[in-house]
Amino acid sequence: MDFSLSEEQQDVQALAAQILTQEVTVDRLKALESGEERFDEALWQQLGESGLLGTAIAEKHGGMGFDFETLCLLIEEVGKTVAPLPVIPVLAGAAQTLQQFASEALCERWLSGVASGKTLLTVALTEPGRDDPTQPATRLEPAGAGWALHGQKGMVVCADRASAVLLTARLEGELVLLAIDPNARGVALTPQHVTTGEPQFSLHFDAAPVTQEDIIATGASARCAIQSMVQHTLVANSVMTLGVTETMLKMTAAYTSQREQFGRPIATFQAVSHRAADAYIDVENLRLACQQAASLLSAQADATEAVLIAKIWASDVAHRVSQSAQHLHGGIGVDRDYPLFRYCLWAKQLELTLGGGKAYLTALGDAIAEEFKQRAG
Amino acid sequence: MDIALTDEQLALRTEIRHYMERLMTPALVAELHGEQREGGGPEHRRALRQMGADGWIVRSWPKEYGGQNAGPIEQYIFCDEVIRAGFPYPFLTTDGVGPVLAEVASEEIRREIVDPILKGECIVAIGYSEPAAGTDLASLTTRAERKGDKWLINGQKIWTSYGNVADYVWLAARTDPHAAKKHHGISMFLVPTSAPGFSFTPINTLGVRTNATYYENIELDDQWQVGPLNKGWQMITSQLNRERLSLVNHGPCELLYERVALWAAQTDAGSGSGKVIDLPWVRTNLARVKSGLEVLRLVCFKQAWSMSHASLGMDQASAAKVYGSEFFVEAWRLLLEIVGQGGALCSDSEGAILQGALEHRYRSGSVLTFGGGTNEVQRDIVAAAGLLMPRYR
Repeated sequence: MDFSLSEEQQDVQALAAQILTQEVTVDRLKALESGEERFDEALWQQLGESGLLGTAIAEKHGGMGFDFETLCLLIEEVGKTVAPLPVIPVLAGAAQTLQQFASEALCERWLSGVASGKTLLTVALTEPGRDDPTQPATRLEPAGAGWALHGQKGMVVCADRASAVLLTARLEGELVLLAIDPNARGVALTPQHVTTGEPQFSLHFDAAPVTQEDIIATGASARCAIQSMVQHTLVANSVMTLGVTETMLKMTAAYTSQREQFGRPIATFQAVSHRAADAYIDVENLRLACQQAASLLSAQADATEAVLIAKIWASDVAHRVSQSAQHLHGGIGVDRDYPLFRYCLWAKQLELTLGGGKAYLTALGDAIAEEFKQRAG
Repeated sequence: MDIALTDEQLALRTEIRHYMERLMTPALVAELHGEQREGGGPEHRRALRQMGADGWIVRSWPKEYGGQNAGPIEQYIFCDEVIRAGFPYPFLTTDGVGPVLAEVASEEIRREIVDPILKGECIVAIGYSEPAAGTDLASLTTRAERKGDKWLINGQKIWTSYGNVADYVWLAARTDPHAAKKHHGISMFLVPTSAPGFSFTPINTLGVRTNATYYENIELDDQWQVGPLNKGWQMITSQLNRERLSLVNHGPCELLYERVALWAAQTDAGSGSGKVIDLPWVRTNLARVKSGLEVLRLVCFKQAWSMSHASLGMDQASAAKVYGSEFFVEAWRLLLEIVGQGGALCSDSEGAILQGALEHRYRSGSVLTFGGGTNEVQRDIVAAAGLLMPRYR
């Protein structure tokens, strides 16, 4: 048993923290948010040049070749600064899935571009009313030598800039994982306005052409790949929640320590400090749930329960810490001139991504029932 | 980072589990009820001596005492398995007071007490709290006064668990009533329970039996004053930190969670609706317990790991105590809801479910949120040490 970070992991963490805390200033965020899209192209390129985008991409594809656990350290740092960087769909969702499940040809085609920052890939995991990507209504129909894609995906991050979108569809009842060019014929992009301002799009497919080389996996192996993509995305979301809530907590401790009412810092009221202490306990507990899930995924061990538990904690902690932070700040916490609101918005978006905690509590309960019914014989 | 136990640690766990299964004989299990639930009876004493003879008590001790210097993770596994087995193991004697005595007590005390502790022949009770000194422990008034070359002890302690069966009480007494700060005038004593002037009366709590203990003109030789004079406070606080860690072991909850889940998988829900575990809300309750429990397990192992790297922060120990104690209260409730009305049947009743284990747990569980340092004080520590928030004085 070892909870420590390796030297390489500490290096990645320190480099990410250095770049992000230096670059992601409140002024820079404000400038970006008053512009067209909440995406920091220059910073994305800077992360590419520093090598960080390739943290968990194999060396042969231009990356540093570290594991998913190490990538999570970068994601946590992004969460701490709410930097407008789509690290989860691009690095945890698309790149990790391709690397593990796609053909060598597909990996060669995409991964070095992702590592350098030249190529953006994204994932489309939800459909209107369907948060479970293993149950898509989107379908493939035979057309000529290939297929035609019909259906709709929603809330796809940075779809406008992506070279390819990974998504699931049904082909004669079988599950398929494929990559599609969002700018191709038969694909219509519509911008969506989401609570954080992150650039998201709905994608409508009207007989969009799909060829054999766009197919990443089918049948059982597609199910496996999608499960892995969902698990990596869930853990990455939980880790980003960790980063977001860590900063909210820090801001709350600092603010209540200097804000005076009744002639003393409000942090000296136990009603205040105890709520902050509960938030601290929540954040540290979430850290452990995340570390376990990330460590199991990195070791390619069975992480099913650990991932569910991380997501359950992340959803609850996102909500609780965000509400506490805002409440303990009072009016300033909701002022858009003070940076806390961004973190609160991210906390809610992360909580709801791929569905809220209760859905995962139900899934965990079903897994437990399965286990004990077997034991009962 | 690798959060799994090593093969050696897993093997140790299996070894202890099997050992404890053999140790918990039917006669011992039968003895551990009512007044003797917390131990001290002849079968419990016999089993404790057996553990001493088999080398389990000394295992965590340094090599110079014949120990193996077992690491904190190994010691956590040991504690957890012993508690899980339902054996009332005197951790405060073996891992709290014992090592302190070995380090600072006289040659004679070491011979008379430390060796017997390691043989499982000596139990030491803790005499800290008083009727008017609970959370504000430093305001204790039990006093020890110089009388010639002897000490004269007078006062009263409360919640002295094991006080009725222990061989000694590890007593905090005021030796300097004029010290500038009230926690500067306190010293530690070992009081033999055979000394004239020592007496106890039972306190029957919701969960367990404990005691009030009385100290009336007890005369002690100087050697029974242990550690530096008037500097007992540091010994008390470091001891409480250790105690805090052993309060929230995940094992007993894991065991009951598994027993309830198995019970729910075996028991018909009635009216042809499958088993109890098929009810959606039952699954949700189990999932809540499981997700809370898994994090408690990680919290406990993280603490043990931190201790083996000498980096356990106060905030970490206090956070674990708050989380664990409050999680237990919630867990017993969620599990009791699953067994339903039958959960209120006591262990000695016809029809008791899981031997009434949950009925006993919920009764004894509430003590942890205030025992071992009340959670309000722990939250103060978390805010001050973990978040660097100022405190009001």
